[in-house]
Amino acid sequence: MKFAHLADCHIGSWRDPKLRDASTLAFGKAIDKCVEENVDFILVAGDLFNTSLPSIDGLKIVVSKLKEVKDKEIGVYIVAGSHDFSPSGKTMLDVLENAGLIVNVAKGEVVEDKIKLNFSVDAKTGVKITGMLGKKGGLEKGYYENLMTEDIEQEEGYKIFMFHSLITELKPKSLEKVDSHPISLLPKKFNYYAGGHPHFVHNEVQEGYGRITYPGPLFPNNFKELEELGNGGFYIVEDEKIEWHPIQIYNTFPINIRVEHKVPEQIRDEILAQINNKEFNNTIVTIRVSGVLESGKISDINFKEIFNQIYDKSAYFVMKNTNALTTKEFEEIKVDAGSVKEVEENLIKEHLGQVKVEGMDNAREEGLIKDLMHSLSTEKKEGERVVDFEKRVKSEISKLVNL
Amino acid sequence: MVKGRVLSGEYGGILVRQKSDEKIELGELLISDTPDGKILLQVFDLIYGSQISQLNLELISGMKLEEDSDMEMMDANLRNYNLARMKSLALVKNGNAGLCKSLPSFFSEVREVRKEDLKFLTAPKNPLFLGNLRSGTKVMDVDIFLDGEKVFAHHILVPGTTGRGKSVLISNLLWNSIDKDYCGLLVLDPHDEYYGRNKVGLKDHAKKENLAYYTPREVPAGAKTLKINLEVIKPQHFNGVADFSDPQKQAMLLYYKKYGKEWIEAIVLEKPLSEDNDKQKFFREETLAVVKRQLLYLLDMDFANNQLHCNGVFCLNAGNTTIHDICSELENGKIVVVDTSSFSGAVELLVGSLVTTEVFNKYKYYKTKGELASKPVVSIVLEEAPRVLGKDVLENGPNIFSTIAREGRKFKVGLTAITQLPSLIPRQILANMNTKIILGIEMKPERQAIIDSASQDLSDDDRNIASLDVGEALITSNFSRFAMPISIPFFEDVVRESKKGEESVKKDFSGIQ
Repeated sequence: MKFAHLADCHIGSWRDPKLRDASTLAFGKAIDKCVEENVDFILVAGDLFNTSLPSIDGLKIVVSKLKEVKDKEIGVYIVAGSHDFSPSGKTMLDVLENAGLIVNVAKGEVVEDKIKLNFSVDAKTGVKITGMLGKKGGLEKGYYENLMTEDIEQEEGYKIFMFHSLITELKPKSLEKVDSHPISLLPKKFNYYAGGHPHFVHNEVQEGYGRITYPGPLFPNNFKELEELGNGGFYIVEDEKIEWHPIQIYNTFPINIRVEHKVPEQIRDEILAQINNKEFNNTIVTIRVSGVLESGKISDINFKEIFNQIYDKSAYFVMKNTNALTTKEFEEIKVDAGSVKEVEENLIKEHLGQVKVEGMDNAREEGLIKDLMHSLSTEKKEGERVVDFEKRVKSEISKLVNL
Repeated sequence: MVKGRVLSGEYGGILVRQKSDEKIELGELLISDTPDGKILLQVFDLIYGSQISQLNLELISGMKLEEDSDMEMMDANLRNYNLARMKSLALVKNGNAGLCKSLPSFFSEVREVRKEDLKFLTAPKNPLFLGNLRSGTKVMDVDIFLDGEKVFAHHILVPGTTGRGKSVLISNLLWNSIDKDYCGLLVLDPHDEYYGRNKVGLKDHAKKENLAYYTPREVPAGAKTLKINLEVIKPQHFNGVADFSDPQKQAMLLYYKKYGKEWIEAIVLEKPLSEDNDKQKFFREETLAVVKRQLLYLLDMDFANNQLHCNGVFCLNAGNTTIHDICSELENGKIVVVDTSSFSGAVELLVGSLVTTEVFNKYKYYKTKGELASKPVVSIVLEEAPRVLGKDVLENGPNIFSTIAREGRKFKVGLTAITQLPSLIPRQILANMNTKIILGIEMKPERQAIIDSASQDLSDDDRNIASLDVGEALITSNFSRFAMPISIPFFEDVVRESKKGEESVKKDFSGIQ
């Protein structure tokens, strides 16, 4: 038995079209590798897409790749993740499942207010697969708390549990502020726990459980990940052997400059010195500048010239991050370094509890806000009529606020 | 209902004759109606009174005993009676209670207290329910609340002999605090009794999402595995936790300075402190050997094949965020119960010290940033408090718990200290514990330590405290008008009652097909 374990493909995540293509390319490359390795089936542990209704461009490639593996009788098993789950139930994953391209294994029934999960059995190997979806703000916790575990724990055979949550006990220091669930919420006695959601690579056998793994994203999903991970990857598991396969779409070259006691010209010179005598074929160059400028403004740093020089050296893409850069004149302004998501998280947390609603505690409020933001950021799809778009958004919102 | 009449005495010791067909109990609350308002009185002593001389009383009792005589001298009801000594607790006027500075008039009636007499006992801001008011042994339908935010910040002491209801009281306190967003409570639970692993406990609360339970063994669903990474431990966390001599402490600090987060590993692996690897110039070899042995024992580690192996809660590869997670949970107003039942006392205190130090430092930081007001008060619930607050322990220097006892309230961090032996705690710290929930104490020196440091004058309450039965308590607090006798309900009853009012909420499992 041989299978692949992917997660967090986030098809369509980057705003810039050049990088948006990269996540789609990474998916294609991973599927090619799976076919080449002759795997029996493929697991995608959440967030195949970055939204529940992705754009046509990325979808076209994903569908053609899924069709390719279907034709080769390689099953694809998925759970929805925090990005591609929709409370209204309208997701592209349903369309793909109805077309027979994937199997959503988060299947079961509600018995006396408890969830009884069913297994999907891979026809080729007889492996039994089930799993739990992921929701924004870690709201899937309520599902786990009401999960009937006894039956699935006692099921015989090789079993895989797919999930899309960060496990508290496995959390690295860098993710200490991210919502997580204790490992004790997972059902025990599975052979393999295919995880997704946190963007780091982890593989460890946990006593009483089994092998718990996170393959990390297929392609870095933000500036910080480009700097730290460089590339994504996935696992191929063959019996007891597990191997992480990197997916290299582009090289990355991170430049990190601390600007204490420096002026804009010095920053420019320092960056140029770092790229001197280098070629950036097929490379994404990231430039992070942080600290307090001795004098001048941020706009005095000639990024245009820097970018031009890097592009002249054949870079695929150049991007900068000056979130944590400030000038002496504006030093008193609070600066929180981090991604847009982190800034959003901080803002939500700061304002929680200002409006008292009966029966709504901070955790529920936070989850609702995130769900609302997610639903309200939905874009109109190609060919979708305005009236249908509005109806779709209204339906999601109504469901969220229980209207 | 008239229960007696004032006949003599003094301020603080009013003598009342009990009506023959009524019964007055120790600790009972009574009312004397005066033109200025109602004086709330409490009985603190009961004595016999008689119109007959002592010699004649002895004669009568002898005749009854030896000759089976039914001789009575004069009208028994008039000649022999009970006297009660009582003190005034408050003067209630127009629904407000204040200090009473006068005596009830001669021969004025004292009557049973009624619920309407106590209307001034209203729920404060941030009400924390502690029990029902008790008059003698009679439990009244009057709920007693204190301002939870103030009470937790200004420390609580729970003294009481074993079996008098300390665990029930703390269970109730935690149960009533779990849904309050003004406080976060860290409970070091050496008997693993509050979560309710195999019985009714905090896990049964409707707001159980506000509970975090950490345990190192057989982790129940939803609970967290207690693992703490070695890298979060600093030398100062051992203060008051383990007996390290000054040279040993200095050796630990030197290693911490040199190796930072990896200092424990460095000591165990005997890494050099200087390039010439001459440790002798810093301290004696034996010193390091003792430190190494102590650390291996305390942290439950083995050293074999030049490698460090962790067996207990402290580990090298996991638990990176445990302390941070616990602090965040406390900051979010949750109750964090840490099961320390499988630890030695020193390990339990080390875990407590790690979390408490982190919380205290964070709250100090919030104060400097002006953000403290928006944070909930954090209280550390400590069993057998003299282990860290005892006079003998503090002779070796302060620790984080004594620091909090002295200055924690300024930073909204308090202690809830539980003990059988309050006399072991220095008076200064006892006096800083501004709320004391006193349970029955049999030993005189322990009672005296409490009386000497109480927020109200309890100098006449020695017998009252000695006679507190199971489930009875006396609250003395800077935040109550007088020392209040209460009855603590059975925890199982509290849980059962609260379950009755719970509404079932339809659960949404959208996405599960």
